Amino acid sequence: MATVTFTPNLARWAETSAMDVAGDSLADVLEAVFVERPVLRGYLLTDQGALRKHVNVYIDAESIGDRQRLTDRVAADSKVFVAQALSGG
Amino acid sequence: MNDEQLLRYSRQIMLPQIDVAGQERLLAASVLVVGMGGLGSPVALYLAASGVGRLVLADHDRVEISNLQRQIVHDHDQVGEAKVASAAARIRALNPDTRVDTLDLRLEGEALDRAVASADLVIDGTDNFATRYAINDACFAAGVPLVSGAAIRLEGQVAVFDPRKPESPCYRCLYPAAHEGELNCAENGVAAPLVGIIGTVQAMEAMKLLAGIGEPLRGYVLYLDAAAMEWHKLKLKRRRDCTIHPASN
Repeated sequence: MATVTFTPNLARWAETSAMDVAGDSLADVLEAVFVERPVLRGYLLTDQGALRKHVNVYIDAESIGDRQRLTDRVAADSKVFVAQALSGG
Repeated sequence: MNDEQLLRYSRQIMLPQIDVAGQERLLAASVLVVGMGGLGSPVALYLAASGVGRLVLADHDRVEISNLQRQIVHDHDQVGEAKVASAAARIRALNPDTRVDTLDLRLEGEALDRAVASADLVIDGTDNFATRYAINDACFAAGVPLVSGAAIRLEGQVAVFDPRKPESPCYRCLYPAAHEGELNCAENGVAAPLVGIIGTVQAMEAMKLLAGIGEPLRGYVLYLDAAAMEWHKLKLKRRRDCTIHPASN
């Protein structure tokens, strides 16, 4: 199963400990995440299911290519990292 | 370089990657530092100490006592002064080789474009997304490399965007828009050493780019979770729908 980790900045809204979930695409993986942590859906995705613009997701340390449909492939041993923009200076 | 400079920078010059030629490139360089807060403080101090020839410091704020926990270029006695004046005084005392120019204003529009175009490299240490996008856009319009840093709570990010490289992503490729996720230190807090770590990484990346050494973080974002002290080096892609470089997509 893929391991999903989250920026600790999301901890204000949801549990952010790492999760092991199944799925062949990023969309599948996130759906599995939302089953256990439904509050994250609205924070990460728009109503149309696209990645929100202040969020980025990396699969095996590489930024995803499809922010709209989340079709990037995820392997069984992939590491998925969910990050968000920071502005503090 | 004169004898005093050879002595002052001797510990860098003895590095084969830098040598005299690299030090001379630093002495000839001009860097625009936007934001003289938690990130801009260590960046400006380290770049001045390492012999960057000219620093242009931009910030419109005054030093407040709540800044002093992390904005180490400012002193207690400078509360109420313009941040750029406070920082300039410290830097001139640190290294008279470094020419310091100040822009005591909110850098935007044509003034931003001019300041970016006259620099060899830009440091973004600002605290809001609108300014980050404006700096990114100005750097890509002028072809000037950008070292971007951000820090809040116990997390930080550093990225290098280099418009001189055809495939380089930009800040808008990293985050197409970020206003809905705006977080700032005043409302969310930030640990003092965190901005030191992130700002110092920015200074290191700037030195690498200016001196022409090593492998800069072009096309990557370096992400720090300081609570776990975990670093992630994440590869970025140029977005096909990015508005900054559509012709090359």
